[in-house]
Order: sequence, then C-alpha cells, then structure tokens
Amino acid sequence: MTSVVAIGLVLVTSLFIGIYGVRAARSTSDFLVASRRVSPNWNALAIAGEYLSAASVLGLAGLLLKNGLGTMWYAVGFTAGYVAVVALVAGPMRRSGAYTVPDFAEYRLGAPRLRKLCGCVVLVIMLLYLVPQFKGAGVVLSLVSGTPYWVGVVLAGLVVSGSIAAGGMRAATYVQAFHYVVKLIFIAVPAIYLVVHAGPETRAEALHPEWGTHFPQNTSVEFTVETRFSLDEPVTVTDVSGTEVGLPAGEHTVSEGTEYVFPEGAPIPHPEGLPELGSDRWSTPLLDVGGYPLFETWSTMLAITLGCMGLPHVIMRFHTSPTAHVARRVAVGVIALLGVFYLFPVVYGLLGRVLTPQLVLFQGTDTVAVVLPSHAVSGSIGTLLTALVAAGAFGAFLSTSSGLLLALAGGLSHDLFQGSVPRLRLAVVVGTCVSVMLALPAQMTDINMLVVWAFTVAASTFCPLLVLGIWWRRLTLPGAASGLIVGAVTATGAVGWSILFPAPEGWVTVLLGQPAAWTIPLAFFTMMIVSRFTRTPEWAEHAVLRLHSP
Amino acid sequence: MSPRREKLTSPQTRIALARGNRPAQHLLPIPGPVDTEAARRLFHRQRRTAMRTVLLLSVLLFGISGAFALFPELGQLRFAQVPVSWLLLTVGTYPLLFGLALWHLRSVERTEKRAAAGKAATRGDQRSKERGRPR
Repeated sequence: MTSVVAIGLVLVTSLFIGIYGVRAARSTSDFLVASRRVSPNWNALAIAGEYLSAASVLGLAGLLLKNGLGTMWYAVGFTAGYVAVVALVAGPMRRSGAYTVPDFAEYRLGAPRLRKLCGCVVLVIMLLYLVPQFKGAGVVLSLVSGTPYWVGVVLAGLVVSGSIAAGGMRAATYVQAFHYVVKLIFIAVPAIYLVVHAGPETRAEALHPEWGTHFPQNTSVEFTVETRFSLDEPVTVTDVSGTEVGLPAGEHTVSEGTEYVFPEGAPIPHPEGLPELGSDRWSTPLLDVGGYPLFETWSTMLAITLGCMGLPHVIMRFHTSPTAHVARRVAVGVIALLGVFYLFPVVYGLLGRVLTPQLVLFQGTDTVAVVLPSHAVSGSIGTLLTALVAAGAFGAFLSTSSGLLLALAGGLSHDLFQGSVPRLRLAVVVGTCVSVMLALPAQMTDINMLVVWAFTVAASTFCPLLVLGIWWRRLTLPGAASGLIVGAVTATGAVGWSILFPAPEGWVTVLLGQPAAWTIPLAFFTMMIVSRFTRTPEWAEHAVLRLHSP
Repeated sequence: MSPRREKLTSPQTRIALARGNRPAQHLLPIPGPVDTEAARRLFHRQRRTAMRTVLLLSVLLFGISGAFALFPELGQLRFAQVPVSWLLLTVGTYPLLFGLALWHLRSVERTEKRAAAGKAATRGDQRSKERGRPR
C-alpha cells in the first residue's frame, strides 16, 4: 500500500510539473526541443534522468543476480556511450541545426527520401526500447499492488501518453530532471541502508560467492512455468499438501504450477541454462551467457557504447543547448551523473544472491530491487524501502518512456509526415498503444536483453551515419542509404532470430545473439565502399566544415 | 482550447513555422570570413582529437575486460574483502571515463579558442573574437 502511495506521489508531482510546463508549448519547435531555452544544468539532469531507464534501475540488479558480475559491463557501456557522444557527435550535431537524426541526414546529404528511411529506423529503435520500459512498469505495478501484469502495463501507457500529449518536451525537461533526483535518492538510500543493516555476516557472504548459495529461510517457490533444474546434493522439500518429497541430486523437471517449500540452508537448485549462482562463471566480471565470455563482453560493449549516440532521444536532447560548446559540456556532466547512479544497482544484485536467491527459479530476477528490501528488513522500514525503490523504478519508466515517445512522435510526425502539434499528440497516443500491445506478451523476457537489442540496432545504423557524416566528407547518399539498410536488417534480424528460434550454445548462436561485433563494421564498410564508388557532391565539404567551425 | 485562439510566438518561431518542415540553415556558408583552408585545418585537428579519445576509450574498455579474462587472479585478490576485479568494474571505471571526457573537452575547447583567435588576428576584428570565445 505504501508503495502505491509513493508511486502515486511521483506520478502526481510529475503531472504537476508537466502541466506547469504546458504554458510554453506552442509551436513544433517548443514541443520537440523546448525551443532551446533550457539551462545546461537542468539539461544534464534531464538527459541523465531520461537515460536511466528501467534497464538501469531494475534490469541491472536482476541480471546481476541471474548471470553474474559481468552484467555491470552494461552500466559501464551506458556511461562510456556518453564519452563517445562527447568525442564524436555532441558539438557538430548541435551546429548542424537539425532536430533529429533524420533531419541531420537531410542536412548532410540533401535528400528528403533518406529522411523517410531514417524515420523508419527511428521507429524500430524506439519500439524496441519502449517495450521493456512498459514491461518494467507493469512488473513493478503488479508487484506492489497485486494487480495483474497487464493492468500495470495499460495504466503506465495511459499515464505517460497523457502527460506527454499535454506538455511536450518543455515539461519533460523538468519532469526528467526531477526523475533523475527521484531515481538516485530512491535507489541510493535503500541501498546504503541495506548494506549497513545487513550485518557483517550477510555482507561477507555477499562478497564471497564461493561459499555457495543457500536458501536464507524456509522458502516457498511456486514454479509458474515448467522448469528444469539440477541439484548438487539431495534436498527434502515440502509440497502444498504438507507431505515431504525427497529430491535426489541430479536433474529434475517440475511441471507448471508446482509449489515446493525449500528448507532453510538448502543449496539453491541450478536452473537449466543459467550460470550456477556464485560459481566462477558467475563471479568473473565478464558477460558469459553462451560460453565465449570475452567475445560477448566486447560485442555488447560495442553495441552499447556506439549505440548510445544513435539513440534518437539522446541526440534530440542536445538541441536544447544554446550552442555546441554548451552541448558538449552538458554531455560531460551527464557522464558524472551516470557514474554516481551506477554505483548502487550492484548492491541489490549482490545482496539479492544471499537474501532472495529463489528469484532465479521462476524468472523473476527483474524484480529483485523491489522485492529485496522487504526480505532484508522486516516491519515498516522494509515496507518504506520497498516503496522507495518501487517509486524510483516507476520514475525511471516514466521519464525514459516519455523521452522515447517524444522521439517516436517526432519520427512519425516530423520525419514521415508533415509536423504539427495536434499530429504530434496523435503520434504519441499511437506510439503508446503499439508499445503497450507489444509489452503484453513480453512479461518473461529480460528487460536488458530488449534494451541491448535497441542499442545494437542504433549502433549498426545511426552510429555509422552520424560518425561518417560528421567526420568524413566523402560520404554519399547511396552509401548512407545502403549502409542504413544493411545495418538495420542484419542487427534487427540477427537478434530477432536468436529470440524466436533459440538454439544450443555455439558460435552461431553467440554471433546471432550478440551481433554488434559484426553488424557495426558491416554497416561502416558498406557506407564507405558504396560511397567510394559514387560521386561526392561539391557542396559536401562545405556541409562538413560547417559542423566544425566554432 | 478553442481552435480560433491566437498564437503568440517569438519572431524566430514565426520564421521557423513559415519555413515549414525543412531543416534549418541548409547549406549556409561557413560563418565569418570564408577561409576554407583555416576551416579545413580546424576540422583535421578536431578529427585527430576525436580519434585519440575514441582510441583511448577502446583501450580502456577492451583493456579492462581483457585483463579480467587474462588474469583471473584479479578475482582472488581482495581489497577490504571485495575482489579487486569487482571493485575495478563497479567503481573504478566511472572516474576514468569522466576524466577521459573532461580531457577531450579541454582539448577541443583549446583548439576552438585558438582557431577563433587566429581568425580574429587575421581580420583584426574584435567582435568575432568575442563571439568565438566560450562564455
């Protein structure tokens, strides 16, 4: 109940700030980029607030619990992405005077048709990114209020589209700056309290995964799907009727709906396909899902670091800075803000392995940050901490999805059709509906997997377009277009294939699941080779030089 | 909101609306004196700085993850109970990334300041110096 109140407070405050901002939204330019009147500090806070999505607040802790320490590479990649933004795109993009990536494409290559192609890529990226946000919101709402998952998703859609359609970006700037503060405090305070409160024994256990992972108390586990797991030693569990069932060491398959009570101190069973909690594979800080840790880590790092600059809502944000000079400084500020935030999710993952390890048994690890406080601290303080984290997670969802929806609306109305404020509002509503529909069947999919998919597509399409467009004067229209198509098709297709047709471990699976390592170079080479064979217009150099003159 | 309501907009917004949906300032000349050679030099200097930063960023990211793969002992070594590799990944990388970005920012701003000063010197025009100087 406290959680519902806390989420309500975040929501009401956001709406209040949003409505206060309505007064300013009058033209398309006001609506999309706040007419470039936003101060740098607010802007940095807003960018960080928008960027820290459900993947950061819920997904990181959950994936850390499930897959191990390597997960924190995601956080490093999310931050490193801004280093690439500062180095490669922030200043020149601002000088181009374009609002969106498609705008930039038209500026640099002078072709309206390329703009439409870019608009389509924006839609793909934004939808891939929005679905996990709605999933996160649905999970949190159903956890704290007991409502079914779909109610949470639909409610989240109503709230976010309502606040955006009313206020636009002007409101979103302040709403998102507010959300950064909410997220940081609501993640940091419970984390620090949990670490202090946990006591030396739990802390030591969290830092020594090699001591093994055991049920901290008698724990009832309800298997919501058919689950295969293995046991290292025999365990006697109790089923619903109260009879004792002896499970010998070895492989087991339990059917859907089975409920077992595991005794305190029993070792955690290892679900099939996951690294054993606390094993070497878990505690080595490399991403290791398919058996090729270094390749997977590098490929994911490439996707996230380079994908960041290709995310349409990230790029759009720099146009709210008055000059290129300020835009770069804002981006550096964002790195500091992200670095501070990412110190905390790791606490939930590490303590989660000791205090709520049963989450791995029913694919519920995305909820660990919300579930953990009430398990670790009993009584009203536990409830309060849960409420804080839940509200923080909801804030994460609200700010990211409103930024994403704006970019999506921008893509739909500004790039694909003629822009006007009523159209833009309609586009927000349409975008929300589609993402809610897609989020409904995604309950069992990891938030981070979907987010990295969005990053992979962005890194294989807009990253080469922007980098070559800004730093290489020979880029031509056919080159850019063919590279965009190749990048979009390979990146979207490879990950989609690996999700729809899961295959056993092996090189092919890893290459399809983490395709960034080959799709990004492929897109770059396609653009460069095709550009080599086509003629560069004589004004191209002019367009490039203009991006770099102060 | 009644459909006939009058919109009060700034002159810039009016111009932007009148221009319609086309991107702004398409193919305007380079501001200031059209000194293509100077602009080219500035571009190449900025590109070198950008490449240096991206290279260092790759060394940082691939180097640290490579070190974890090459030296598993980093996971056994402990500092205040915490494995060194965990500490490096979850705490150590962020200041490094921030420092790298800050260094890049400084270099780029210095280059731009110098370019603006050079432009002002050749023209003897004080105003362009004011405009080029970061505030």
